[in-house]
Amino acid sequence: MGAYVLKRLGQSLITVSIVVLTVFLLLRLMPKNGYFTREDYVNMDRDARTAYLRNLGVLDDPFTQFGRFLSGLARGDLGRSITVYPRSPVLDVIGEKAPYSLWFGLAALALSMALGLGLGILMARFKDRFPDGAGTVYVTIVRAIPSLIWLFFIQQWVTALLGWPMVFYEDRPVSWVLPTISLALSGIAWYAIWLRRFMVDEENKDYVKFAVSKGLPWKRVMRGHVLRNALVPLVQYFPQQILLTIAGSLLIESIYSIPGMGGLLVSAIRQQDNPLVQALVLLYSVLGVVGVFLGDLLMVLVDPRIKLAESSGKGAAA
Amino acid sequence: MSGDTILEVRDLRVSFSLRGRRLTALRGAGLDLRKGETLAVVGESGSGKSVLAKTFLGMLDRNGRVDSGSILFDGKDLARYNKEREWLGIRGKRIAMIFQDPMTALNPLKTVGEQIREAAALHRGLDRVASRAVVLETLSRVGIPEPELRYRQYPHEFSGGMRQRAVIAAAVACRPEILICDEPTTALDVTVQAQILDLIKSLQRELGMTVLFITHDLGVVASVAQRVAVMYSGQVIEEGSVREVFYDPRAPYTWALLASLPQLGVKGEELYSIKGTPPSLFKEVVGDAFAPRNPRALEVDFKHEPPVFPVSDTHWARTWLLDPRAPRIEAPETVRRLRARLARGGAGAAATGGADTGKGGAE
Repeated sequence: MGAYVLKRLGQSLITVSIVVLTVFLLLRLMPKNGYFTREDYVNMDRDARTAYLRNLGVLDDPFTQFGRFLSGLARGDLGRSITVYPRSPVLDVIGEKAPYSLWFGLAALALSMALGLGLGILMARFKDRFPDGAGTVYVTIVRAIPSLIWLFFIQQWVTALLGWPMVFYEDRPVSWVLPTISLALSGIAWYAIWLRRFMVDEENKDYVKFAVSKGLPWKRVMRGHVLRNALVPLVQYFPQQILLTIAGSLLIESIYSIPGMGGLLVSAIRQQDNPLVQALVLLYSVLGVVGVFLGDLLMVLVDPRIKLAESSGKGAAA
Repeated sequence: MSGDTILEVRDLRVSFSLRGRRLTALRGAGLDLRKGETLAVVGESGSGKSVLAKTFLGMLDRNGRVDSGSILFDGKDLARYNKEREWLGIRGKRIAMIFQDPMTALNPLKTVGEQIREAAALHRGLDRVASRAVVLETLSRVGIPEPELRYRQYPHEFSGGMRQRAVIAAAVACRPEILICDEPTTALDVTVQAQILDLIKSLQRELGMTVLFITHDLGVVASVAQRVAVMYSGQVIEEGSVREVFYDPRAPYTWALLASLPQLGVKGEELYSIKGTPPSLFKEVVGDAFAPRNPRALEVDFKHEPPVFPVSDTHWARTWLLDPRAPRIEAPETVRRLRARLARGGAGAAATGGADTGKGGAE
């Protein structure tokens, strides 16, 4: 077990390093003009521009720059934003925005799980009957219609109907509700459709027939056997989903003016804000890799057939 | 071999709706199960063996229903049961069933002990400690060594034979009166098959159970059963003691079935196989369902369904050949050869050939 965890951590470190190095080098292929805000570029003469670039460090060869990035990282310093939030430390920018995305994301995830798993159970329980059909209609609408359409619909019409604010206010909890629901809608569909599918799969297995033949009431078979086994393939994704809520949603945060992480990476890339892009890529890849790893560990807990070991020898850790 | 009838099936009709069409799986099947006996139900795939057994537990698939007929058990007509609550007093408690494939019959994510315990606790109203003791006792009874350890293990840590023992333990933990075995050895190695058959036989003796044994392996029939019911196209077409059905078969389908036993073939000769396929059960069957495949069929076979004709007190068949007006038609030569062999070696030896060695288990 211990050896396996160490090995996986080592592999994770390699994965993250490759991702970060690749992005780092790609950023260095961008034209140098990108490092200026429009104003600065106009106001500076050629020498001032060169001095500015030298000051940023982007004129050195890429590997020297990468070394500098790593030594900064070791000191916990990810540099300062260049163009998006000029001269603010990157960590401060992220630290300020992340909580919004995190709280909205976690609330939406909790809502998705509660409603989505509930809907999935209902759909499986009443397969081919009304609840299943209604659930399928919901899932189809959410997945087939571009989210922008229903997101705007909710923002324009539902707010008007309820008399609620159209944008996010930090001090008015009622304005938090619709963004959370909007954020949860596709998650609900995801959980419902997959849980339904896995439950129906399990229901048709021989062990369910045998459990029924033992005389267990159907409800108990559904709860103790079918539902429990159907959750197993979903469990793997829980940690990733929880960790990556921090990345926020570009669409929802922008239409409700939530100052979260949603659009940050996109604007950082567009405005060639190297330190900010590097920090975000590092953060997201670490969270992604850690999420997958935790998912694998969780699978070991819920499925006795999975063992954390290379060879399936007798002494395999369990 | 007489004794009280514990389960009596009369004229049972079961149909399934499949994409708007009705498939009649049982067309008036009848059967007597006597207390303490082992009755083998034989027949090819699709003959309705498993459907028949499932009706005893109310476990037809959702699209199936009992149209008419009765299943009398302890003064009650199970054919009329349609609520889960009614079945819960029977299923697993008084009538239990074990299935064909032990590799898939257990939930892979629950310990074997827990899967046996949940039924035992429910039916016998026992708490965790007491039901656990029952499970441990049952595990050793079915020949699973180290029950304490095995209790905590998961199905994937069991071999195929051990899993079938665990499945049997789950079925007998509640001391059912009737145990239905639906081809319990088909999915197992030949060597393990014999052990499982022995286990079922000894459990039956110890616990005084009545066993209904579904199989298509006539060798197995001879080694476990006292009586046989032969099924074809949703009907029981011949029922009698093993000796009667093997020595003196009357229905042409039984002849054909026996003639296709590989053990009866003569080296170098082509093995007999029944030509054609069973009739479609989507359509109404007219006359004797086997007539189109029967080279010796009478004219009446194509027009009227044969009724049940008694051969002796314990033996009956559904064939017009038993009608006093019917011409005398002899069983085919291979079947007569079986009779000769039986006369020499006894039922078990001839019919089982090499498939089953009878003794020699783990116990």
